[in-house]
Amino acid sequence: MGIYSPIKAKITKIIEETSAIKTFVFETEKGFSFSTGQFVELTYPGIGEAPFTPSSSPLRKDEFEITIMKVGKVTAFFHNAKVGDVLGLRGPYGRGYPVENFRNKEVLIVGGGVGLAPLRSLIFTLFSSLDDFKKIVICYGARTPQDIVYKSQIKEWRGYKNVHLRLTVDKGDNKWDGNVGVVTTILENLPLKAKEAVGIVCGPPIMMKFTTLKLLEMGILPQNLYLSMEKNMSCGLGKCGHCRLGKYYVCKDGPVFCFEDIKDIHDIWD
Amino acid sequence: MKDNIFVATKQSFCNFLETLSKTYTVVSPYGEENYFFEVFKGKFVFNKYRPVTSLRQFFVPSQQFLGSYFLEKTVKKKPFCIVGVKACDLQSLKIQDYVFLESEIDEEYKNMRDNNIIISSDCIAFKNVCFCVGLDINPYPEELFDLNISLVDDVLLVEVGSLKGKKLIEENQSIFQNARESYLEERTVSRSKLVEEIRRSLKEQGLPSKEILYELVRKGYEKNIWEEEALKCVECGACIMNCPTCHCFLIFDTKEGSYFLRGRIWDGCQYKNFSRVAGGANPLKLRAQRLRNRYIKKFEFFPDRIGIYACTGCGRCIESCIAKIDLREIFRYLYNYNKKSKV
Repeated sequence: MGIYSPIKAKITKIIEETSAIKTFVFETEKGFSFSTGQFVELTYPGIGEAPFTPSSSPLRKDEFEITIMKVGKVTAFFHNAKVGDVLGLRGPYGRGYPVENFRNKEVLIVGGGVGLAPLRSLIFTLFSSLDDFKKIVICYGARTPQDIVYKSQIKEWRGYKNVHLRLTVDKGDNKWDGNVGVVTTILENLPLKAKEAVGIVCGPPIMMKFTTLKLLEMGILPQNLYLSMEKNMSCGLGKCGHCRLGKYYVCKDGPVFCFEDIKDIHDIWD
Repeated sequence: MKDNIFVATKQSFCNFLETLSKTYTVVSPYGEENYFFEVFKGKFVFNKYRPVTSLRQFFVPSQQFLGSYFLEKTVKKKPFCIVGVKACDLQSLKIQDYVFLESEIDEEYKNMRDNNIIISSDCIAFKNVCFCVGLDINPYPEELFDLNISLVDDVLLVEVGSLKGKKLIEENQSIFQNARESYLEERTVSRSKLVEEIRRSLKEQGLPSKEILYELVRKGYEKNIWEEEALKCVECGACIMNCPTCHCFLIFDTKEGSYFLRGRIWDGCQYKNFSRVAGGANPLKLRAQRLRNRYIKKFEFFPDRIGIYACTGCGRCIESCIAKIDLREIFRYLYNYNKKSKV
């Protein structure tokens, strides 16, 4: 079956991020390369496939990670998988983050919910050559404190030189002493010059919409704004037709798009 | 005398198909009016116009086994020889070829394209839904066939269109004789006559000219027509299942003993979960959005990508729609609306 054929990917570790989100660590027989922001199709054998963007650094060659939220039939099977289980893997597909375009710039990364997964891969990539970027500002919003992913790692990010981190939750609890409100509420007075900065957004559709509008209002230019578009990518090869966005297929021409290239397409936030 | 055109009697052509049946699953038209392709059983009918269903099924079957993973399992099938394919369906191969052969090659499709034989034929009549000529597609095959047959004076004029076709003629020399020049002239006359008849019918159909269909869809995004027409849609999917250029499919996985199998089935944008993502978002949640999506895909997306419409004028979407949603009517509306708004 050629292009639709998966290779074996063995689960070596499972990390419980939240009650609905797990990170799976995989190894493959011959190693697996991707560039940050590209996606893969992960198969639960005999059940089905779903698209995910690896959440680990592409510089790690021996293994890679995929963070999965349980939202439907196939992801429920993934959540029941155990260490040692062998899943199927196709890819990588599409175009990831054009990291070259971010060099010598201030980089603003805005994530919502499990949308931090692809961004974490990008963040690790940027961290591997921190001196190449003027500044990295990470803004992350989750529904509640319990829904924050990568909790222990996020705290460490604050310690890096030139890295700024802001967190928010839609709804706090008695232990939460940080900001409460949607992610756009932590985008005020950011320590960067918007007109020259690069903005990167990933999260659920409604968050993507309002964050993008906010970043544009702040002065980030459409050609410096990058969005991870979520569509129903099924074949990953531009053949099955599910993920059309204007004249593009998200699986081939995305999933990362420069806002300049998609801003005139109707209803991109639907 | 042209060296790529031959004649055969209907009886000897029938014998030719009989011979081909040893190597191929020969399918040919069965019946006169609303007919389908069926496995050839010794009776050859020269079909007047295109069959009810499209050519797609012979290159991308509606349900297809793609292979097994982790453990090898192969299934060998006889290739098809499809007889009586019409020009509109041949044109659809340009879309299917682009989808399945461009950049990453779909092996199953390529095998079918390489191994199947296409014996096309001229239309000698047309249905009231046919509008191929309006899209500059002639009702007689000029490309994309292995052999093409035309009916002249009750004999068959056979034109070679590929190396595969040439080989078939060479292997069956007793069946095919060189064609007289007068046969060719007759073919030209009957071809032009039919084109003229379809042109006259097009005037009644009122389809706007080919050149502006792209703009009409592009500018028609916000128009009410999509909602009005979609109100009638019962989401049966007949338009997508019968369309020769529709190509969308769903990959499915299943288990058979120790084998994990992967296959695909036809899917289409008129079904409500077509573009739904796991998180729940669905960019095409309304029928009106889905109807419009079909037109955007065929008249905007494909022209943007490869410079041709993904419509061959076969009229199957009109013919098969029980809600009587009519492509020509939608274009007429968009055209008239556009004209009014310019005044």
